[in-house]
Amino acid sequence: MAYWLCQLLGWGFNAFSQSYSGIGNGLPATPLKIALEVASLNALALLYTNFLRGYMKRHGWHTLGIARLLPRVLAAALLFGLPTALIMRSMSIAWLWIGGKPEVQHAVAELGGDVAEWLVTADPMVLGTMNWTAVIVLWTILYFSITSLRDRRLGELRQSQLARALKVAELRLLKSQLNPHFLFNCLNSVRALIADDPAGAQRAVTQLARTLRYTLTAGQDEVVSLDRELEIVADYLELESLRLGERLKIERTIASEAHSAHIPVMLLQTVVENAIKHGIAELPQGGVLRISADMREQALTIEVENPRPAAPGTSPSPGVGLRNAVERLRLLFGAAAALDLDLSRPDFALARIRIPQAG
Amino acid sequence: MKAMIVDDEPLARRELRRLLAEFPWVEIIAEAGNVAEAATAVEAHAPELLFLDIKMPGGTGFDLLARLEHVPRVIFTTAYDDHAVRAFEVNALDYLLKPVEPERLAAALARARSPAPAQSTPRQPQIVERLFIRDGARCWFVPLHEVSLIVAEGNYVRLHWREVRPLLGRPLSSLEERLDPQRFFRANRRQIINVEFIEAVEPGTSGQLHVQLRGGPEVEISRRQARVFKTLMSV
Repeated sequence: MAYWLCQLLGWGFNAFSQSYSGIGNGLPATPLKIALEVASLNALALLYTNFLRGYMKRHGWHTLGIARLLPRVLAAALLFGLPTALIMRSMSIAWLWIGGKPEVQHAVAELGGDVAEWLVTADPMVLGTMNWTAVIVLWTILYFSITSLRDRRLGELRQSQLARALKVAELRLLKSQLNPHFLFNCLNSVRALIADDPAGAQRAVTQLARTLRYTLTAGQDEVVSLDRELEIVADYLELESLRLGERLKIERTIASEAHSAHIPVMLLQTVVENAIKHGIAELPQGGVLRISADMREQALTIEVENPRPAAPGTSPSPGVGLRNAVERLRLLFGAAAALDLDLSRPDFALARIRIPQAG
Repeated sequence: MKAMIVDDEPLARRELRRLLAEFPWVEIIAEAGNVAEAATAVEAHAPELLFLDIKMPGGTGFDLLARLEHVPRVIFTTAYDDHAVRAFEVNALDYLLKPVEPERLAAALARARSPAPAQSTPRQPQIVERLFIRDGARCWFVPLHEVSLIVAEGNYVRLHWREVRPLLGRPLSSLEERLDPQRFFRANRRQIINVEFIEAVEPGTSGQLHVQLRGGPEVEISRRQARVFKTLMSV
């Protein structure tokens, strides 16, 4: 849209100034004829530059260096300038022929065979060619300045959009780690406990503080012992028990040799949170959360199993927290480490974690 | 005022009960921990006010409302469900964020106690005054006296209410039984009009009537119904 406006205005202005100077110079033709001639030549220039634009785009001229671009632009300009000068000359003769008096027509006819020679008479031809070539070169300079300016602004815009998308992703991750639904429900439970069970309220506040601190201070690349992670999982599960009451039952089977195994911080916590949030908390009758850990072939194997609402058809895709956990696991422990969520049974979910332990 | 608490967390129910003890005119007649329990309890006890958690196992608070024949006044209680609360577009509703602030609770209760818009008829138990409608992602409490026209669309009905045209998932015949007969009139096979929205009535050529509704379309009263209409209006 802006392109066509520039084209029309630019060539229109050029036509206007050319006619103005042409008429002023007292050429041997009527102002109307000059105006018509100039208008048609400028229309031709508009069409040619439009074609040139497409050609330049297709052949990636905007990526060329100035040394390679310059000869191409000159050639393209000459390709228009020369024929146009030729056309100008023929048109001038034609005008003389059509519009001139009988004597003039006669004189022109007498010229006869000299017409060809006259056409290429050096002076006006060279002048015309140079003139139009310069105009086209000017056009390409304008075209490249405008487009490069626009491209740079677009690039800056894309950069800032990218930065914003990153920020949004970070924020989403942080929110999912903080688990606001859990947090505010917890605070509500604590408020309820304060009057009835002050000791319980105190314990809950301590557990909540420990859970939050662990969540907020855990670095992305930190590795902790399974024991340490299980402490936080226990705090978290006690808080969930406050909320869910009878509905949450827990079974833990931790092999003694697994206690000191290494695990990415917050990994098991994320998996357990997931099991509660999408599993047991969604069931009116609740259910049993089973956590087991074992050492098999020098690898820590953890299984977290929970009932979930029977979801016919497609299984839900894992949330941002779990996806991030998988990514961290791969980065820290390599391709042999794995976390997969088995949703093959319609009313159960089973998360399996395998972390090879060096030495 | 008879009130009921619906929340899946026992401690949350206990906390709300304690907060409500400050308001002796609010009588808690029942509690429920999930949608199925709540639906039964609401039909059994007919509370006037419902404290309703949005996120619950086995269905949301909205699912409960969609199941109810008579929708009481509702105050939503939610820990963190901003998108769910935002689902309500048109009418102001009350919601409390948990942990509940006593001042906010007092304000919500004051609004709940304020009299409902003027009723032209004495309340009858089978008459519905308000509908809860969920159409796609949007929800409304629709006061029926503000509805100008009800149109059957297959097994559903479309309400003409203010600027919106929500679709209700039940047939016209079942809704008709529960409408106030003083206010709503069956104009023809497909349409029920609110007579308080009638702006002008013009006789048609073969015994039918053309009714112009305020801010709405023209509705034709069939020949058979036109006779009933004239008797009712006794003009």
